[in-house]
Amino acid sequence: MTFISLQEVSYTYNGRKEAAVKNVSLSIAEREKISLTGLNGSGKSTLAKLILGLLKPQTGKIVLDGLPLGKYSLAKIGEKVGYVVQNPSQMLFNTSVFNEIAFGLKWKGKGKDEIFHFCKKYLEFFELWHLRDELPFNLSEGQKQLVVICAVLALQPRFLILDEPTKSIDTFRKKRLIDILQEIWHLGTGVMVISHDMEFLTAFDGRRIHMEKGEVVEDAGRYQN
Amino acid sequence: MQVDIRTKLLIVAIFSALALVYQNPLILGIILLLNLLTVILFRVPLQIFREFKGFIYMYAVLMVIQSFFVRDGEPLLQLGNIYLLTTDGVLYGISIMLRFFILACSGIILLNCNTSELILALVKLRIPYEIVFMIQVGIRFIPVFMGELQNIFHGIQLRGVDLRRVYKRKVLKVYVSIFSPVIYSVLQKAEKLSILLELRGFRKSPARTYYRDISLSRIDYVVMTLSLIVTVALIYAVRNL
Ligand SMILES: Nc1ncnc2c1ncn2[C@@H]1O[C@H](COP(=O)(O)OP(=O)(O)OP(=O)(O)O)[C@@H](O)[C@H]1O
Ligand SMILES: [Mg+2]
Repeated sequence: MTFISLQEVSYTYNGRKEAAVKNVSLSIAEREKISLTGLNGSGKSTLAKLILGLLKPQTGKIVLDGLPLGKYSLAKIGEKVGYVVQNPSQMLFNTSVFNEIAFGLKWKGKGKDEIFHFCKKYLEFFELWHLRDELPFNLSEGQKQLVVICAVLALQPRFLILDEPTKSIDTFRKKRLIDILQEIWHLGTGVMVISHDMEFLTAFDGRRIHMEKGEVVEDAGRYQN
Repeated sequence: MQVDIRTKLLIVAIFSALALVYQNPLILGIILLLNLLTVILFRVPLQIFREFKGFIYMYAVLMVIQSFFVRDGEPLLQLGNIYLLTTDGVLYGISIMLRFFILACSGIILLNCNTSELILALVKLRIPYEIVFMIQVGIRFIPVFMGELQNIFHGIQLRGVDLRRVYKRKVLKVYVSIFSPVIYSVLQKAEKLSILLELRGFRKSPARTYYRDISLSRIDYVVMTLSLIVTVALIYAVRNL
């Protein structure tokens, strides 16, 4: 079943002449694996923000899980689609690494034990458990990135979008990331990665979508169910 | 109309001063009209005024508060012995609103100026460069600060927290949790900026050069003289109101 569909979507930033995303039509199934590639400035991050409702397309239509995107609040979109931004330090706002991951779980009304379990599970998986009481702002770039990834993974969304997830993380943790993405995909979560990291993309092995100057110029287009 | 930034500064200064001196809604109304005229003459984009809609309620509340506590003027709306709305309260609310709009228009004129030119104008007005620089960084950081706040709001909502629902019950909790990290990260940015400046040779030599140049042309002298004349005339005309 189609989970996310874009029909002729275009978006131009305020004051820009060229559209950042131009007439993009895409259909993404639930439980699909997608690799989105393209040169710097080709509109990948903009496309992600459109799908998440952070930007509103000037023309075209986006449908998420059967309903037009405009019908959802950001929070409802966030429940369905997890998003790891390209610059993860933008999304850190808690006073400790533990709280950063617990934040969404608390608001979901999860119990203490469950919150502890999830935080521990993901932080240990990336070998960051020892940092749990640190201030997220004071972590290294790669650590910040991993904390945001953990925070989003812990919420167990139905679809996950990661923008340049491997940008500053080491080879060891990159391998871990691939493992966990494959694992959640096997368990039924859709995953889209935006990346320039060919090694990572090869290991990830998703449906390849390539963008150039705001347009989708190549789409392997296979549903993998 | 293409005028020098110093002309704009003068006009903005006059309008702001007048707005603070006068209280009479009629006079403030005239000043606002003149101010709007300059806004249009300077070709400042007007979409920004749409953002002001939200403030209207605030003035209504101000009117009621003023009427309730000051009790001057004729009561318009009364509940037993309690004044809910008085003529003075309404006038007070209106003048505050007009003042706000005058200051907002002035701010918009300044915001639409090129920042480098603004800085250069201040330098040419012999304001110490250190102070000018602080103003420059201040201006530069407003969008950073707003962007930071917005990112965090988005971050919170995308993690499944519906701020519109939460607002009423736990508003304080959410805001406190947002406020400290924003301050922290902005301070961190400021610290990085100061180090970067040193590294790039800020204040290394006393004579710095400027890439842009600004100059006063005939139109500037005309506009400045005109605005001074209009100001004096206005002050003279309304002195008995
Ligand atoms: N906030 C913004 N305001 C104006 N223009 C923007 C903004 N963000 C991006 N753009 C422009 O939109 C275009 C697409 O940007 P986008 O960030 O989507 O590229 P990208 O494919 O993610 O690139 P990268 O690989 O560098 O992350 C670029 O030309 C960029 O300059
Ligand atoms: Mg990008």
